Amino acid sequence: MENGAANPIIVCENVKKWFGDFQALRGVTTSVEEGEVVVVIGPSGSGKSTFIRCINRLEQHQEGRIVVAGIELTSDVRNIERIRSEVGMVFQQFNLFPHLTVMQNITLAQVWVRKRSRSDAEERAMALLERVGIPEQAAKYPGQLSGGQQQRVAIARSLAMDPKIMLFDEPTSALDPEMIKEVLEVMQELAGTGMTIVAVTHEMGFAREVANRIVLFDEGQIVEEGPPSEFFANPRHPRTRMFLSQILSH
Amino acid sequence: MANRPILASPKRPPLWRNATFLKWAAQIGVLFGVLALGSVLVGEAMANMRAQGLSLDWDLLTDPPGIQLGEGIFIKPSTGLEAFYTGAVNMLRVALSGIVAATVVGAIVGIARLSSNWLASRLATVFVESLRNIPVLVQVVFWFFLASTLFPVLEEDSSGPIPGVLLVSRKGVSFAWPFPQETFWQWGAFLVAGLLTARWAYRTRMRRAEALGEATRPGRWALMAFLAWAIVGWFAHPLAGAIGWLFMLLAASVGAIPVLVYQVVLALASLYLGWRWIHRFLESRRSPAGLAKLTDDDYFRMILAGALGAGGAAVLMLLPAATEVGTNVIQYLLEFCDQKFEFLRSGAPLAIGSPSVEVPGRFPQIAGTGLTMTPSFFGIWMGVTLYTASFIAEIVRGGILSVPKGQSEAGYALGLRRGQLLRMVILPQAFRVILPPLGNQYLNLSKNTSLGIAVAFPEMVQVGQTMFNQTGDTIQVILIWMAFYLSISLLISVLINYYNRRTQLVER
Ligand SMILES: Nc1ncnc2c1ncn2[C@@H]1O[C@H](COP(=O)(O)OP(=O)(O)OP(=O)(O)O)[C@@H](O)[C@H]1O
Ligand SMILES: [Mg+2]
Repeated sequence: MENGAANPIIVCENVKKWFGDFQALRGVTTSVEEGEVVVVIGPSGSGKSTFIRCINRLEQHQEGRIVVAGIELTSDVRNIERIRSEVGMVFQQFNLFPHLTVMQNITLAQVWVRKRSRSDAEERAMALLERVGIPEQAAKYPGQLSGGQQQRVAIARSLAMDPKIMLFDEPTSALDPEMIKEVLEVMQELAGTGMTIVAVTHEMGFAREVANRIVLFDEGQIVEEGPPSEFFANPRHPRTRMFLSQILSH
Repeated sequence: MANRPILASPKRPPLWRNATFLKWAAQIGVLFGVLALGSVLVGEAMANMRAQGLSLDWDLLTDPPGIQLGEGIFIKPSTGLEAFYTGAVNMLRVALSGIVAATVVGAIVGIARLSSNWLASRLATVFVESLRNIPVLVQVVFWFFLASTLFPVLEEDSSGPIPGVLLVSRKGVSFAWPFPQETFWQWGAFLVAGLLTARWAYRTRMRRAEALGEATRPGRWALMAFLAWAIVGWFAHPLAGAIGWLFMLLAASVGAIPVLVYQVVLALASLYLGWRWIHRFLESRRSPAGLAKLTDDDYFRMILAGALGAGGAAVLMLLPAATEVGTNVIQYLLEFCDQKFEFLRSGAPLAIGSPSVEVPGRFPQIAGTGLTMTPSFFGIWMGVTLYTASFIAEIVRGGILSVPKGQSEAGYALGLRRGQLLRMVILPQAFRVILPPLGNQYLNLSKNTSLGIAVAFPEMVQVGQTMFNQTGDTIQVILIWMAFYLSISLLISVLINYYNRRTQLVER
């Protein structure tokens, strides 16, 4: 691995995960530096989502170790809570709370988890809505927004918790082409601020421009990883070459 | 046709092909059809009844019915009205306590069925599957049978299992209970004030918590405020007796105003309501671009609303008796309240009564000194409560499952705890799905209380049946039943619809 300079904020060691008798992760070992942007790609069903969902314990790994921001993920409930408050996550389906306004979506966890006062939380929410470019939507309900706007609210909702790490699981896959751009721009801006990002995405433009490293998953394992220049120019593994030829031909 | 000048507007179709006319004709036709059918049916029924010597008089409400009821406010009612009143209150006792208990049990079982605790979810499944597959009548009889055979026989010296507190026997379970006394209403005025203060305190502390982000314990503040009023009121309630004068004054002034004044005011109100409906309707059809084009339907609705308003006003003016009945009832209620308050009347508002046994005839009976649950009440209450709870459990489970998994994942990813997630994210959304079928279950439970007749529980149907066995006034009793159950059902529906509308999601 090229990250010998040791300030890893996520460390995974031989992580294994089974669903029943189906093994979704077959020993994943990698680490992510603070401020690094890692893009995870791979064929459908290769375990990309499972991998990043293990990082904030939405899935529980059965073997191996995961250490996030110096806290090891065990079945200790306190550790899980601490890690979740350091890690933000953005989903393919946005998962905004439909019964709450945009403002309430962004302030809910600030008030109840971060214990901020309502006025502080609202101030923070407005600042973030400003940052993702939709301050005028604060009073609306998610159902009244476009997909792109909803995803930007979801990003603002995660950022409001001041996470050290942001996880993205195919954040643009449910969006129309013109909305993909507005979400990618927000992610790019975020990467520029030095946020640690692990993103599953098939937006190769984004991967090429923004990522520090690209990780290819296949059958629950990391097949190949490296900086985008190398990864795209001369992939070493035949599996990588095949995958790249498939997605780049579209 | 061809050599006619070209008209500016298209030719009007003949009347029988004119869609507007046809629609109007249909609406008016249906209205008159319903009215005509109704009057024919009623007229025919009246004529037949007269021919058979049956009369639709309401003497049964005022005559002494000569019946005895198993339990309730008037065990030996002196008028039919008292008998029905007793039946209605008994029915409401079962229905209201049953609705509360079934909701609580159903919610717990429904959540337990989704629990990751194997034992809890298995037990909940057994509860649901067994109870909802046994006819409710069988369950009612079962619980009644259990209570009236497994418990010890009542002896003259029975007092157990906890003497003075709890008495269990085949004639019923009786326990010590704080009964309201003569001065209860005076204290009650303090309790109402306490509730209002508690609500105010809760809201103020809540707002403070939200503004400053500190823990302000709104629940504890509200409780303290309420308790303070309750304690002060316990001693100071003779002063609240002064409220009686207010009621007296109101009752006197209600009686002093001539009926014609009420008639005119109510008639104007009826006209105003019609006008307001039309006004609001037009407002709702108005967009920033101006008034939308109204359809024939819209016109019909507005005319109907206007006609109803005017018709109501006309009826009120032509039938002074209707208004008079209304004012009499209000006056009666005010006088009733007046009696509950008396300045400086003292005495404890509550007094604890303990269960005891009396022997009025040859057999010992539970005396009225404690709060007694008879085997009949137990049977009907347990039967309808558990039966309905098993359906409510399924509704709650379905409601929670209807919330997409992504919602909990998003909540967990934000660091919410399980309880917070359930309370603030899952349940509010599940509630939208749960509410309408929950209302149906409440309606079912209310109507199922009529099975009380199977275990001799004197609710509406049992009382009514006893009444028409005595008097032969079957039609009157059936009309009373229908009016009673219909009003209860409508009340529940209105409440549920109100909450339903308040919890709808806002969509594009
Ligand atoms: N909850 C689950 N139960 C059983 N099997 C699961 C579960 N979640 C995922 N799997 C399986 O694990 C494998 C990896 O799934 P995962 O969702 O991580 O793939 P992915 O790489 O994200 O694919 P995609 O690009 O389609 O999102 C798949 O074969 C999937 O069927
Ligand atoms: Mg996936």
